[in-house]
Amino acid sequence: MAEPAKRHDRIFVANRGEIALRAIEAAHAMGMETVLGVSAADRDGRGARTAGRAVVLGPAPARDSYLRPELVVHAAVATGCTALHPGYGFLSERPELAEMCASEGIAFVGPTPESIRRVGDKLSARAMAREAGVAMTSGSEAVDTVEEAIEIAAGIGYPVITKASAGGGGRGMAVAHRPEELAEAFDQAVTVAREAFGDGTLFIERYVEVARHLEVQVFGDGVGGVVHFGERDCSIQRRYQKMLEEAPAAVLSQETRERLHMAAVTLLGSIGYRNAGTVEFLYDSRTDEFFFMEVNARIQVEHPVSEMISGTDLVRKQLALATGTAGTLDQADIRFDGHAIEVRIIAEDPDRDFMPSPGRITRWEPPAGPGIRVDSAMEAGAMVPPFYDSMIAKLIVHADSREAAIDRLSAALDNFRVEGIATNIPLLRFIVAHPDFRANAITTRWLETVLLPAFQDSQG
Amino acid sequence: MSTVPPGDIEALVTLFQESGWREMHLQAEGVELFLSKDGTAQFPRAPLAATVAAPSSATAAPAAIPAAPAVAPASPALSAAAASVPDNCVVVRAPSLGTFYRAPKPGAPAFCEVGQAVDADSQLCLIEVMKLFTTVRAGATGKVREICVNDGEMVEFDQPLFVIESHG
Repeated sequence: MAEPAKRHDRIFVANRGEIALRAIEAAHAMGMETVLGVSAADRDGRGARTAGRAVVLGPAPARDSYLRPELVVHAAVATGCTALHPGYGFLSERPELAEMCASEGIAFVGPTPESIRRVGDKLSARAMAREAGVAMTSGSEAVDTVEEAIEIAAGIGYPVITKASAGGGGRGMAVAHRPEELAEAFDQAVTVAREAFGDGTLFIERYVEVARHLEVQVFGDGVGGVVHFGERDCSIQRRYQKMLEEAPAAVLSQETRERLHMAAVTLLGSIGYRNAGTVEFLYDSRTDEFFFMEVNARIQVEHPVSEMISGTDLVRKQLALATGTAGTLDQADIRFDGHAIEVRIIAEDPDRDFMPSPGRITRWEPPAGPGIRVDSAMEAGAMVPPFYDSMIAKLIVHADSREAAIDRLSAALDNFRVEGIATNIPLLRFIVAHPDFRANAITTRWLETVLLPAFQDSQG
Repeated sequence: MSTVPPGDIEALVTLFQESGWREMHLQAEGVELFLSKDGTAQFPRAPLAATVAAPSSATAAPAAIPAAPAVAPASPALSAAAASVPDNCVVVRAPSLGTFYRAPKPGAPAFCEVGQAVDADSQLCLIEVMKLFTTVRAGATGKVREICVNDGEMVEFDQPLFVIESHG
């Protein structure tokens, strides 16, 4: 490590879009050099122009470029990088990437491969939560057959939900209210899970019907110190994909909030977790109970709302920890202020059943002003390629109160001008204007069962 | 002539290659585009403006607007390096990022030298990605006109490695 070329930290960014640009800018602000690995579709993008250097890994499809750990690590080694930021999605939670980095002497900006494995497998994560005494819904171990599933579901009580042990994102998840529904859904869920994750192992959990999705932002130093940066409410989802996130979760009493934070910190503290992670929970507001769901071993899309209320740049914190320049973590230093909301701007047409809308952006005028932040790698003239996730920007607002944050968000959305492609901005405006949202009377089912039908009616 | 940037056409061609479609016909802003995966396909009617045929052979010359042959994953007609070589030349490009090796092992003779005759099957170099080696072949008959990369250098996906001058 004494070679002159490695005197400075040089970060390889193994991602694209807004999070790649975010990591590049954070590294530059800390005096680090950057190299971005891109696909052929992204060689002229803002990320490639902003990074100190961009190298083309492979052709446009992610499976031939962004999803090839060996190309990513080879590029990082060949360009003299000392650390690698995986962003979210793509290879971020693949233990092989963290392992290859370790064997090449590159600091992985994330947890250890062992931690990624332990929390990445949902059954193993449930076992971890059980040992740590964290509450969760009653559930099964791996279930192999429909008959077994029906027998177990009878013991747990309906409704139940099937989940893939190997993955998330809604794939392999099916809700059943009766044995016949479970019989119908089970085999298909196995197939979906096997296709998506290469592993069709399912388990069954009791399904909490009226729930909110809450999560706690955690950060560990890797040697046992673990702190939290508050919780987020991410209940507004479509097909298990989050669309709007806020912090703090206004639904919680201070007492429950503290118990929730404690549960998350205890859980990740029990494995000496390193770097940023999130513990997700379901919360039943009628009984004031929360249930452990899963751990995400990466920085998340919605991390900015936690940054806004804590005044902390989590990505810089990630880089500082990985490059050995971080100070000690102390919960007493982390203070919270005000309320923040993030909405995901996606290139999908809500009027056409959320059809992806790739193409060239002809006009790009994001809102700006006090308490308004936009994380995006887009610009006028940029191409939204059809190969990747369709999120093109995150709009984040921060204000003294939830009320004021909603007002600020509403005005900011009104001033967000995008032309050339269809986006979900009209739908986001409709959400923000809805009385249920302002009253915070929502659940994870609200968007699909209440809001979308009302939105479709309003569109005539 | 056209108000559509070449990058858009490039993206459309890539999309088309990825798709299960056999043909695509697009007319917009002074451009009419006809892509087909059938090398003998005919443009459906008289073109209005610029026409891009999609030849099935990688060496066929493109029409007015630079476009990739619809059947070849690498797109030689699109890069400046390819555009600068004579018509009878073929550019051999890197199949992925990796380290470029001209010889099977250190100290061994190189697979090829400038001026050497090659056929489609001739090995030209190795591309190494994390200790895994991929052989790159000439893909055309002719002689090596240029070697674009030094031994042991990192190459990026699609980077020109060799220029082969064909006999035909």
